[in-house]
Order: sequence, then structure tokens, then C-alpha cells
Amino acid sequence: MTTEIVNTQNLHKIYDQNSETPYEALKGISFTVNKGEFVGIMGASGSGKTTLLNILATLDKPTSGSVQIGGDDITQLTPNEMSDFRSKKLGFIFQDFNLLETLTVFENIALPLSLQNVKGSVSKEKVQRAASRLGIDQLLTKYPTQLSGGQKQRVAAARALVSDPSIIFGDEPTGALDSTNARELLDTLQQINQAGVSILLVTHDPFSASFCKRILFIKDGRIGEEIQIGNRNRTEFYQEILEKLGTFEQ
Amino acid sequence: MLFKIAFSGVRARWKDYLVLFSGIIMAAAIFYMFEAIALNKKFVASTTVGQNARAVFILGAVLLVIITLVYVFYANNFLMGMRKHDYGLFIMLGAKSTKISKLIAFETLIVGLVSTMVGVVAGMALTKIVSGFLVSALEIPVKYFQALYGPAVWVTLILFMVLFLIASFINARIFAKTPALKLLKAENQTDWKQPKTSRLLIQAVLGIFLLVVGYYAMYNIQSLKLNAIWIGLVTIVVGTYFIVNSFFVILLQKIQRSALNNRGINSFTIAQLKFRIRDYTKILSVVSLLFALALGAITVGVGFQSDIPEIANGQNAYAISATNPSAEISARIAKVGGKSTVNYQQKISGKTVYYRAGEFQQKPIKYAAFVMKGKNAGFSQVKTSSLNQLKNPDSSAYQQLVALQNPNLRAFKVKWVSDGVFNQLKGRVNQLQLVRVRDINSQYKSLKAVLEQQKKEFGPQVVQTMGESIVMYTMVKSAFASMEFMGVFLGIAFLAMLASCLMFKILSGAESDKVRFEMLNKIGTRRRVLRQSIMLQILGLFALPAILGLIDVGFGLQMFSQTHLLYHAYNTFMYSAIAFLVLYLIYYGVTVLIYQKIVIPKTRSEK
Ligand SMILES: Nc1ncnc2c1ncn2[C@@H]1O[C@H](COP(=O)(O)OP(=O)(O)OP(=O)(O)O)[C@@H](O)[C@H]1O
Ligand SMILES: [Mg+2]
Repeated sequence: MTTEIVNTQNLHKIYDQNSETPYEALKGISFTVNKGEFVGIMGASGSGKTTLLNILATLDKPTSGSVQIGGDDITQLTPNEMSDFRSKKLGFIFQDFNLLETLTVFENIALPLSLQNVKGSVSKEKVQRAASRLGIDQLLTKYPTQLSGGQKQRVAAARALVSDPSIIFGDEPTGALDSTNARELLDTLQQINQAGVSILLVTHDPFSASFCKRILFIKDGRIGEEIQIGNRNRTEFYQEILEKLGTFEQ
Repeated sequence: MLFKIAFSGVRARWKDYLVLFSGIIMAAAIFYMFEAIALNKKFVASTTVGQNARAVFILGAVLLVIITLVYVFYANNFLMGMRKHDYGLFIMLGAKSTKISKLIAFETLIVGLVSTMVGVVAGMALTKIVSGFLVSALEIPVKYFQALYGPAVWVTLILFMVLFLIASFINARIFAKTPALKLLKAENQTDWKQPKTSRLLIQAVLGIFLLVVGYYAMYNIQSLKLNAIWIGLVTIVVGTYFIVNSFFVILLQKIQRSALNNRGINSFTIAQLKFRIRDYTKILSVVSLLFALALGAITVGVGFQSDIPEIANGQNAYAISATNPSAEISARIAKVGGKSTVNYQQKISGKTVYYRAGEFQQKPIKYAAFVMKGKNAGFSQVKTSSLNQLKNPDSSAYQQLVALQNPNLRAFKVKWVSDGVFNQLKGRVNQLQLVRVRDINSQYKSLKAVLEQQKKEFGPQVVQTMGESIVMYTMVKSAFASMEFMGVFLGIAFLAMLASCLMFKILSGAESDKVRFEMLNKIGTRRRVLRQSIMLQILGLFALPAILGLIDVGFGLQMFSQTHLLYHAYNTFMYSAIAFLVLYLIYYGVTVLIYQKIVIPKTRSEK
């Protein structure tokens, strides 16, 4: 039996609804993500990817429609519940790392645990585990300014992973990395996924997307098409993504 | 065209500009008000201390210019912090940097000019209010005050324009010389490195040592004389710098290693503070010293006021003396509360004043004596004089009695005789009435009414030479009024300016904090927690100089109590410190509110 981690029904988002120029960024989006899946969301610039991700992450509210994550309807939460939800159930990896440069790597990774007031000894162990999963155990006492871009993004990934979230959201996490570093990070994300963590990745880079198992294409605020890797290898999947993008973007 | 874009930038950030404008307006207003009073020769000369007051006012003016300089510097930094990014972007997009340089210079000048002019007008209004206060509280005659005083307008305008002219040159240079990319990124570059613990320790120890030396020097001002001030000044300035630079970083590091660090976003708050304190070392040291100066000025200024009864009581044990008081004087004396009155009969024969010895044995006269030794050394005390003691013309009691008689009897001898001899003497019997009060401060009004009547009857010159303690009281009161005024005025002006310096500095950093708070919000920090973090961070930055300043003043006052310049220095200190902290807290609150408005993200989902 598969359990649903994310379930959105008929999601609409209208920006500036009460102004003279309302803009409908999402026009009825419905999809599900099952536990342990690695799903990509692709689409041209302005198609509504970030809008969708912000709603899923409780950073923004949909105009209508429902979003369930781990069985909870997140659109009904109070602001404090939303904050707690983000710190306990979600992991984030952003394009621009978003590490605090005054904190050590260790403290950066431990931040979500501190927010839940996890005990020092427990938190230490969890940070160590997350760090070794991303191969950054040696960097724990360093400061972000002493790290390379790839290392920084690993730290961010460790931070996303540390509180055992139901799902990790990534918005163009490879956007600021060179190809080697991007590839390494994607490999790691894939390993994390194979260990059972669900991941939802927003990207417009076909190479990044080819690491996913399933891809949803968004166009003008609607889900246009959906493809699965199935039994193919990544190179074949990559080819299909390129083709789809070719036809899709016309 | 560029001008239009630049102006739209101003409109977009009008709130920040409002803070900037009100800050400069306040500084200019304070400066104007001070100059309107200090430059006013008639007023300064009218105070009893004359030349002395001039010196005090000049010293005050110099201090005010220095703090204004520092202030304009920080206000300008705040402006540059706002504009660097905008103008940097223009240069990136191809605007000539010479043109941008001119634009920023122009903007700086306009900001300076407009706010200074508004400030001068505000200063005139303030002068009107303050002169009212001076008249009622300090009894300085009102006729010398002018809200609009030409020389003060010029001095204020010229000083501020020169400062802003310099600032605009500096700003223009920055834009002409700095590459555009650096202008854009300037705020995001934070090369935070962990300072070496050994170096911190050495600095902390050195800092404490220097402070101790400084405090000790001030305590020993009796033997060190003027050197105490020089030693104190140097060691405390350097010591404060070291302490800020090291001691508090070490303290925060200790907290970081404790379990406290793992709770909520404490790790972030503490790290931010640690990072900031090093970045703020200079301003925090300056602020702590100014804080001490300001608080010290108020305490000393007001402290002199509390010396007045002490000095007056040292002059004579009796507040009022009246020989054959008129009905008016008697009526007024009757209104004095908490008094004890004594009457002596007096006859004048030849060049001698005669009293009944029996009366002085029955109702011994009191006199003020200085305590030479022990805990109360330096204070005055009321003592009762025996007749034998009184008969000695060199005794304080004898001299104080002579000073209480009618002034035309100054050169006469005083003799005490038996009732028989007294009755034989020719001439009429005078009544010498002496009035003592328990608390001269609380009876000031009613005593002064008696004094006014005496002046009316005998002429002010005559009364002025009398030994009544109320005469001394009124004289010292007006002499100290200018000291008190200066202390309170400079104290509040300093506080207002240093607190807004700190405010500007803190708010200049808000922009670069935005991304951090946005990230914390994304990973699920509650808004209340974010707000608390800001309150704590800014509290740390405000509290640090305040604590150091309070300690500085606490020890600095030793100079005044050791030399007996001030009798109740520490009582006054408590009150002025409380008043001061309240004002300071208001600044703290405002800074926190503005900061929160800037950095706490408004998530649409929480609307
Ligand atoms: N706060 C907002 N107010 C009004 N319109 C907005 C807002 N945010 C986004 N939009 C509009 O909604 C649409 C979708 O934007 P979104 O940021 O989701 O696109 P995206 O797919 O993430 O694009 P990109 O790949 O460039 O990041 C765009 O047309 C955008 O102009
Ligand atoms: Mg986007």
C-alpha cells in the first residue's frame, strides 16, 4: 500500500485579487506525491512553479483548493501552527544556500532542531548523522564563508534533512552550482531518496530533472503532462525530458 | 531623467528618510536651542556667577559640537547605507559614476539643508518652552530670552552646512572611486572569523586593569589633583574599548557553549550579537563614554542643586532674622512652617550692643559649625553655644550672631549684661527675632516672601549682606542654576544624540539582515520567536554601553564626593539614572519596532 505525502486538489492562486489587474498564477492544480517518491516539477519561467511550492510550504495561501501534507490540511493552520509545521515536517533547499554566516556549519544544521527545543545530546547525534550522510562531517566547525558553493549546498541539504521531515522541497537547488557540484548534490539527493525520504524538486534544468522518478510539467498555471522514468535508465529519461520540453514549450 | 529615478528611490523609502530627517532635525534643534542661550551675552552675564558661567557654557558648546560631529557622521552612514545599492545599480546599468557622484553629493546637501532649517525652526519653539521651564524651575529672569536669536541661527546653519558639505564630498568620493559591483555587494560581505581566545583574554584582562586604574585615579583625586582627570580619561577610554572588544565576546562564547545555545534560535541571536559587538566596538565604546558624560553631567548639575541647603545651613543656623519686625514681616514669618522662633532683647548704647545674659542662658543661641573629622567631615552641623563661648569675639557663634543683627551694627561690640544693668541702660528695647526652620528646601517659598518684604523695607543691597541662611540660599541657588541647566541640558542632548547614533547604526544593518530573517521564517521559526530575537539583539547593543556608562559614572562621582564638591552625589545619581534609563528605553523601543518592521517578513499566508 502506498501512502500519500502530498495531495493537492484543484488549487487556484490569484495574485492581487482585489486590484484592477488580478493575475491567476495557478488555474486548478491537482496531483499527489506518494511516500518515498522523487518528483520533479518543470515549466517555463513564469509558469507558476515557485507559486506552487510556496503554497505547499505554507509560505503562501491558495485562493481556493485544498492541500494535504502527511494527512493534514495545511490551508487551515494558524500562523504558529504553520511555523511549527515547517520546522517539523518540511525540509528546504534553496537556490542561494541561505546559510547564516555567523553560525558554524554545525549550528546551521542544528537550527531546525533547536527550534523544536530538541535536547543537546540528541541534536548532536542527529546533526552528525545528517552531516555524514552528506559527507561533510569534517566541516562542522567551519563557518559558511570558509566553504565552497557545493559544500554550502550540502550543508543546506543536511539542514533540510536533520529533523527527519516528511518531505524535502527544493527550489532550483542546483541553480547556483557548477556542473560537477550540481551532479554531486543530485547524486546525494538520490541516495537520500533511496533511503526513503520523499523529495519534491522544482527546476527548469533537464539534467537535474532526470534524477527524479516522475516529472510534472506546468504550463500557464496548469499541469500539462506527466512522465515517469519507469524501467529506463537516466540517460533515456533525460532524452525524453528534452523532447517533451521541445514540444511542450511550443 | 536620472534625477527622477533617484527621487523615486527616495519616495519608495520615505519611512527610512523620515527617521533620518527627524534625527537631524532633532540634532539641529538641540544645537540651536543651546546656542540661543549660550551665545546670549545678556543672559550669561546676568547670572550671578558671570564669567564662570561663560566658561561652563563654552565647555558645553565644545562638547555639543563634538557629539554633533559624531552624530552627523552616523546619520550620513545611514543615508549611504540606503543609497549605495540604488546608485550602485545605476552605475552598473551604465550611468556615469561622475554623474552619480554629483547626484549623491546633491542629495546629501539637500537632506542636510532641509532638515537643518526645519531643525532651527523647531529649535525656536523648543527655546520658548525651555525658557519657560528655566524661569519657573531655576528662577532665571525671563527678559533675556529670545526664541529667535540671530547669532544662534547663523552658528547652527553654518556648522551643520559645513558638516554636510564635508559629508557630501566624502560620499561623492566613495561613488567615484568604488567599483559598482562592490557598491552592490558591500552589505552582504561578512568575513566573520572566530577571534583567537588568547588574544581576547589578554584584551579583557588589560581592559579591566585599565578601568580599575582609571576608577582608582578618580577616587584619589584628593592626592592626584588634576592628574586624576587625565589618567582617568585615557585609561577609561582605552579600557572601555578593550572591554567591549573582548570581554563581552568571551561572555557570549561562554553562553554559546552552554545548553542555552540549543534552545530556539538562541544560537542565531547570540552569534549575531557576538558578530555585531565586534563590528560595533567603536560606536559602543563611544556611546558608553557619552552615556557616562551625559549621565554625569545631569548628576553633577542637579547634584549642585542639592548642595544648596547644605551650603546655606553652613552659613548660619537661622534662616531669618528680624529686628523689631514690621507687621508685614511678622505676618509673613507666621506663614513659615516647621519653624522655631527665639526672641532676644537688645539695647544700643554708644558703639555697643547689649543683651540680657539671662536670656542667652535660658534660650541658648544656636550656630552652624563645620565637622572637621569623622564620617560627616565636611558637612555642617547645628550646635548650641554656651554664653561663655559666645562671649569670645573669635567664635563662630559670636560672628554668626553679629551677622544676624541689623547691618548698621556690624562694627559695634556685643556685650551680655545682667538684667539689672540692662534695665539701667538708656535707649529703647529692640526685639531681635531669629527664625530657624527644619527643612529650608520645603520652606523656600515662604522664607523668600519674608526676604522680599525685608528688601522692600531696607533695600536689597542692605539685605544682601545679612547673615540669614535664606540670603545665602537664594544667592547660591541662582549661581548653581546655570550649572544645573547646563548639566540637565547637555545630559539630555547627549543622550538623545547618542541613542540616535546607536539607532542609526543598528538600523543601517537591518537591510542586510532581511535575508536571514526570511530564511529563519522559511524553516519554520515562529514570528514571536523572531521578534524576541530582535529584541534581545538590540537589547544587548543598547544595554552594553549603558552598563559600562553607569559604572563609569558610579566611580566618576567619587571625584565630586571625595572633594566634597557634592554632598549627596549618589542620591542624585539614583534619580538621574532612573530618568535617564527611561528615556533610553524609549529609544530602545523605537529602534526595536522599526527594526522589526524592516526585517520580519510579511508572509502572505499569515494575513
Ligand atoms: N507576488 C506576486 N504578485 C503578483 N504576481 C506574481 C507574484 N509572484 C508571482 N507572480 C506572477 O505569477 C506567475 C508565476 O510566478 P512564479 O514565480 O510562480 O513562476 P516560476 O515558474 O517560479 O518562474 P521562474 O522559473 O522564473 O522562477 C508569474 O507570471 C508572476 O509574474
Ligand atoms: Mg521560481
